[in-house]
Amino acid sequence: MTRLTACILCLAACRVAAEPSAIAIRGARIVPVSGPPIASGTVVIRDGLIQAVGESVAVPPGAWVIEGKDLTVYPGLIDALSTLGIPDAAPPPSGGGRPGAAPAPVPTPPATPATPPARGPEDRPSTTSWLNAADLIKPTDNRIERFRSAGFTSAVTFPNKGIFAGQGAVINLAGEKAGQMVVAAPVGQYVTLTTGGFSSFPGSLMGVIAYIRQVYLDAGHYQAERAAYQANPRGKARPEYDRALEGILGSQRMLLPATRQVEISRMIRFSRELKQHAILYGAHEGYRSAGELKTSGLPVLVSLKWPEKKKDADPEEIESYRTLEVRDRAPSTPAELAKSQVKFAFYSDGIENPRDVIANVKKAIDAGLSAEDALRALTLSAAEIYGVADRLGSIEKGKIANLIVTVGDLFQEKPQVQFIFIDGVKFEPVPELAPASPPATGGVQ
Amino acid sequence: MRKLALALLAVGALAFAADSYLIRGVTIHPVTQPDIPDGSILIQDGKIAALGAKVAAPRGVQVIDGKGLHAYPGMIDSATEIGVSEVGSVRETNDTGELGDFNPQLRIGIAFNPASEHIPVTRANGITSVITMPGGGGRGSTGVITGQAALMHLDGWTPEDMAVSRSAAMQMVFPIIRTSNFRFPEGLTHTPYAEAKRAYDKRLREMSEFFEQARRYQQAKAAHDPGFKENLKYEAMLPVLEGKLPVMVIAERERAIREAIAFADKQKIRIVLAGIREPGKSLADLKAKNIPVIAGPTLDLPLEEDDSYDAAFSFPGELYKAGIQFAFGTFNTAFSRNLPYQAAAAVAFGLPREEAIKAVTINAARIWGAGDLIGSLEKGKWADVMLTDGDPLEARTQVKRVWIRGKEVDLSNKQTRLYEKYLNRP
Repeated sequence: MTRLTACILCLAACRVAAEPSAIAIRGARIVPVSGPPIASGTVVIRDGLIQAVGESVAVPPGAWVIEGKDLTVYPGLIDALSTLGIPDAAPPPSGGGRPGAAPAPVPTPPATPATPPARGPEDRPSTTSWLNAADLIKPTDNRIERFRSAGFTSAVTFPNKGIFAGQGAVINLAGEKAGQMVVAAPVGQYVTLTTGGFSSFPGSLMGVIAYIRQVYLDAGHYQAERAAYQANPRGKARPEYDRALEGILGSQRMLLPATRQVEISRMIRFSRELKQHAILYGAHEGYRSAGELKTSGLPVLVSLKWPEKKKDADPEEIESYRTLEVRDRAPSTPAELAKSQVKFAFYSDGIENPRDVIANVKKAIDAGLSAEDALRALTLSAAEIYGVADRLGSIEKGKIANLIVTVGDLFQEKPQVQFIFIDGVKFEPVPELAPASPPATGGVQ
Repeated sequence: MRKLALALLAVGALAFAADSYLIRGVTIHPVTQPDIPDGSILIQDGKIAALGAKVAAPRGVQVIDGKGLHAYPGMIDSATEIGVSEVGSVRETNDTGELGDFNPQLRIGIAFNPASEHIPVTRANGITSVITMPGGGGRGSTGVITGQAALMHLDGWTPEDMAVSRSAAMQMVFPIIRTSNFRFPEGLTHTPYAEAKRAYDKRLREMSEFFEQARRYQQAKAAHDPGFKENLKYEAMLPVLEGKLPVMVIAERERAIREAIAFADKQKIRIVLAGIREPGKSLADLKAKNIPVIAGPTLDLPLEEDDSYDAAFSFPGELYKAGIQFAFGTFNTAFSRNLPYQAAAAVAFGLPREEAIKAVTINAARIWGAGDLIGSLEKGKWADVMLTDGDPLEARTQVKRVWIRGKEVDLSNKQTRLYEKYLNRP
């Protein structure tokens, strides 16, 4: 142990002094996710990429060597839907669904109180579809270091305010400048079903859905009109530029909120109707919908913010059977999805402490999800869902060197992340976060 | 021509108004005694002078052939806002929900509007008296003691004419721990329990304080304290403290009921619990302490998502099985006329029919301290009588004639006028 500490200290010191040309983790247990675990192997990192991985990989001369005895190497974890790097985006997105819907009734505040009330879809209410998360990243967001310390090396981050909130970006959770952090952008449009309050369009769930439908119809028309004009502008009226529709046309997939079973069915039908690539997020009642989700072929982001009893609830409040059932069974959703072979990933859904995020993954494992499937949902599946599996999500030659190195299993009671590699740069967990803090938001009662 | 005939008839009826009636050959349902299949009722000087199988007709009496008809006592709705609320959504027509938390001095017996359109509509269905409340907790009222409810006859020129009891009960809306609120424009908002509990505890302290003050006032008055100054609020509380006037406490759920009972025990006051929807385990307590209940609206949805569909329908039956004295209240104004159907719904779900009839007649009268005046067909009581062609709990039954205080009342009302108007549309 002292040897290890010394080694870490040495490495830390060295990093300050000069970046090594290559790093090799030798003789460690490797969990590549894309293939079977390697009981004892070597990973070589060079220029921010994984140069080689395998049982008998030669350590290149001049490489810094980390002795991997008792260590396990995993691909870095990916938070598949978050606001990391966009500090202004707080408060966090809710688990989706309409306001007041069980199991987590969230009052919907008027989306944009400052702007005059919208009268119809032409006013593009609660729409900032042109926003690109990649343009909004602030490396100074203090949540980044916290999540990194718990083993998250990447996040898919989105602006989260409004019906069409904006376009997301896959970012690495390290970097001096925002530009260094972005792995892929844009990766999709974040859609919520936020109503505009009582005095503004759309004021109801039906209105919001009608509005979304209208925007896609408008976008189709806009695209055709624009193409026709560009082909032959002479003698034609110039179509008006509409940034809201530009934002829609620039989004290759849409993220739709679907927490309850009825919402899941509704959003499956809706995405089919809109002919869009869609990802459903929320999915707490997914344990009821696994078959339907499988048939639909849609990927699912499962919120790790499992429904809980309100902390400040009336002790004599009578909770409905439905609420209690969802609270009890939501963590079994991932197991059900895995059984039905639905592609799914996990997201933190506004949980502030990343240790609670991991603790909640553990709850899903306790409810029947295999540790392998849990890890896949936190790594390769997330990368596949966003189309970045060619560079992230597993320990494979040529992929970005986002790795975490732990003592023991990642999903044990107190996970011990020793170091984190992001773009091949080594980080250590922030020491004050090393002891697991009491769950602030993660504990289910 | 027909109108003229009607008018003549009306004049005719008025001319006999002070006179006496003998209803003959009618099936009498006295409620407090066994039915009399072919009997007569003699109405004189506003009272029931005699009833039985054979009643001699005094001279000059107006004889009515009741063949095929049924005579019941007029029904009593134990919770309405008739006379102080005309159109719920028009603020100017609502005299409920006075400002201030403690208003025991407010008397419905004074505010009551005898010309309310709801009165003829309601009595046309056989309801001859109602409890009018100074504020049922709805419509913006936030007070605790909202005033004195009155038991009113649904006929008369002035509130004084109409009052069976100008002060039938003091009304109290028991505070609740409110953790969710619906506000505009935010919608449903959540208050942390601790915060709501603090506000509630403060409310309870204020209530105890008010009762304490009233008690000190009572002692000062009794002791002829030279510094004694009259205070209308505390003065109005004296009958409550002396146990002469019951407090009608509006409490919906188990906790409020429990706390209301505890409060009544502590303050040694007599209470009637009203508007109960979800009594939980408190029914045994109500029975043990002999607390009467005004059952909330029966024709209603269950309160909780997981309640059985018939929770509201079967609640009166449970009250009966628990041996609790109870009466029906519609907690409404425009639909007070549906009182018998509220009771009928309970009959379909476990309440014996006779008990349902009692709960809209004699039980209500007894609960409101008017058991010797109204609520049954008995010699010496006010002649509040309805003649029907069947069971009043049946929706198809027609109420043919109604007497209030011995005076036959006109059964035409806004609804029948509108019916005639549109029937005669060219």
